Amino acid sequence: MKEIVKLISVLTVVCVLAGLSLSFVSDATQEARDYQDRLELLSSLNMVLPAHDNEADKDVVEVTGDTYYLAKKDGEVNGIAFITSSDKGYSGLIRVIVGVQPDGEIVSIGILEQKETPGLGSKITEDWFVDQYKGKSLENARWAVKKDSGDFEQISGATISPRAVTGAVQKGLQAYQEDKQEILGGSDVVQ
Amino acid sequence: MKNISASNPAEDPAREQATKLSVYVSSSPHVHSTEDVPWIMRQVIYALIPGALVGVYFFGIPALKVIAVAVVSCVVMEVLWQKLTGNPITVKDGSAVLTGLLLAMNLPSGAPWWLVVIGSLVAIIIAKQLFGGIGNNPFNPALVGRVFLLISFPVAMTTWPEPRSFFSQAADATTGATPLGALKTAIFEHGTIAAAPGMNLMDPFLGNVGGSLGEISALALILGGIYLIARKIITWHIPVVYIATVAVFTGILWLINPEGYASPSFHLVAGGLMLGAFFMATDMVTSPITNTGKVVFAAGCGVITVVIRLWGGYPEGVSFAILIMNAFVPLINRATRPTKFGAVR
Amino acid sequence: MSFNKELIKGIWKENPVFILVLGMCPVLAVTTSAINGLGMGVATTFVLICSNIVVSIIRSYVPDRVRIPVFIVVIASFVTIVDLTMSGYFRGLYHALGLFIPLIVVNCIILGRAEAFASKKSIPLSIADAVGMGAGFTLALVMLGGVREIFGNGTIFDFSIFGSGFEPVLVMILPPGAFLTLGVLTGVFSAIEKYRSKEWRKYVSQDLGKTAVVRERL
Repeated sequence: MKEIVKLISVLTVVCVLAGLSLSFVSDATQEARDYQDRLELLSSLNMVLPAHDNEADKDVVEVTGDTYYLAKKDGEVNGIAFITSSDKGYSGLIRVIVGVQPDGEIVSIGILEQKETPGLGSKITEDWFVDQYKGKSLENARWAVKKDSGDFEQISGATISPRAVTGAVQKGLQAYQEDKQEILGGSDVVQ
Repeated sequence: MKNISASNPAEDPAREQATKLSVYVSSSPHVHSTEDVPWIMRQVIYALIPGALVGVYFFGIPALKVIAVAVVSCVVMEVLWQKLTGNPITVKDGSAVLTGLLLAMNLPSGAPWWLVVIGSLVAIIIAKQLFGGIGNNPFNPALVGRVFLLISFPVAMTTWPEPRSFFSQAADATTGATPLGALKTAIFEHGTIAAAPGMNLMDPFLGNVGGSLGEISALALILGGIYLIARKIITWHIPVVYIATVAVFTGILWLINPEGYASPSFHLVAGGLMLGAFFMATDMVTSPITNTGKVVFAAGCGVITVVIRLWGGYPEGVSFAILIMNAFVPLINRATRPTKFGAVR
Repeated sequence: MSFNKELIKGIWKENPVFILVLGMCPVLAVTTSAINGLGMGVATTFVLICSNIVVSIIRSYVPDRVRIPVFIVVIASFVTIVDLTMSGYFRGLYHALGLFIPLIVVNCIILGRAEAFASKKSIPLSIADAVGMGAGFTLALVMLGGVREIFGNGTIFDFSIFGSGFEPVLVMILPPGAFLTLGVLTGVFSAIEKYRSKEWRKYVSQDLGKTAVVRERL
């Protein structure tokens, strides 16, 4: 009986000390982690949105579960960014951030997250691949890779990943078009 | 027995013979045979010649170049490695030549020379010599080399020159798809096999299709395989059961849904099935000993091949299937060990 | 047992990866590049040093029967601290190492050193052991990551070393490449070790002429 009490008390003390030190470290690094999170979001937003003078990560509209970040210049919306994803990649989820002008034409896209095969599917993060989406919209492009008689380059040796990206961007654009009125409802828009 | 370990193998005839695996010290009865490793290897090489010739006919000089580079580099690798490690040089047994030839027959004819050399290096040094040389490798060396290349250089390894007659070879060879590759694309895009081009059976039977330079002609490979069986180098179990498993498996699916799955006859003649079933899966070192074991092994190869072909990421699964089943060979051997005469289980 | 000896042994003689074959999960999983190997090695070394110190301090107060849970709690706490700190200050590395930071908890090197060494030895010796083992682990990870990055990507620490004509051997940065490289490096390590060993020297000095015999014996 005496031994059990000793075991329990040692374990308890160790765990309490561990918990205390962890909560201390968590508090101490909270600010830095929040800062890094925001830095990440802002840098990807800046990558895909046109030049703006508001804090785009705080100008947010939520429509049917999707989050839209609004970029404004002189109080007028000149760009919208949203995150879309596809599970049709070679491995895991591919998350893409898309920036569009209010009329639905793509400003730029960026790959946020992907686990495609290094050296093959992972080429979807390269500039030449991402840049081909610039200026495209639902109306002026066929949304498929060239092998499937579309307008977008595939990667030799890996057609699955470009297909997934193209599909994800198209899906995002369609969702934006459907909910456009609601997204831009309360704001002035650049004509 | 005389201690031969201290002597130089080149000067010691007993050692020299022992390396050929033709001398056994055992109790009677003794069975005499002229069979030894070089003889077996020579027979397999003869059996492969029809398939290789068809490859050279349809793909021209580049195919010949791939074969030459593969054979020479395999032999050189083996000699170099055995010199470096101070082991007896066993290149005269012909196994390196055979590995080189098999590797070449599993490569596209347009493969650049450095690709072939890397494949030989992996096959001979990593897959064969590191495991202890001839007789000790758990995986088929040529297939290890091929799969290494396929994963490492997917673009070069899936660029298939179009077949054309040897006498009309042009410098600017065009490239196309293999029958299985075209099938996979068609199913992916349209969900039905109807859109796949060139689904006739005669071209892949004779060899007029894109593919690895030694796998294209089912006919030439079957002829070679029959020669091997007639010469008693291999038994019928592995090729027949392997091919039958593929036929039955694809046949059932085809009967259920002929729109979504290609016919079994197509699956038999297309791709590397014949090459794999007759020449790769039957490798003495990496296949089971007993006939029961061979049947189990071959059925496993067949099932995995079909699963990869129909639902996998690659259009062809023969290489992977055989390598996966190679890993099970020790287990199969253990499970199918025959009982001793008179022993009670 | 001198301080220096404990410090040195982890780098070569008892190298945790090539000789003890411990901690294979991160060794195989994160070494797709030299920088990833270095980051993982440094993070593991930090946790190892901290846990060895704490385990050595509390070694006389912890009853035998609960020592493993106590060690795990200590190790897990330090791993979480590394995780939070990296997330706050080294975002790039944090993303690259991803899931494998939390997995340091189950790295056998750390629990192994706590159990086999720190729970029995004084604090200075435990620190020396941790530094040496951590250095050996880091060295192994950088070597592995370096070899794989050179062949699989044509770069080392992100500097391109071959011309544009180089075709990367993709398999090297895929999982099979990790096993291949680990096997070859372990082989090289034990070959060198054998070459250095007394047995070899004895044979050579006795029988300089008969190198064939030496080879047989090896």
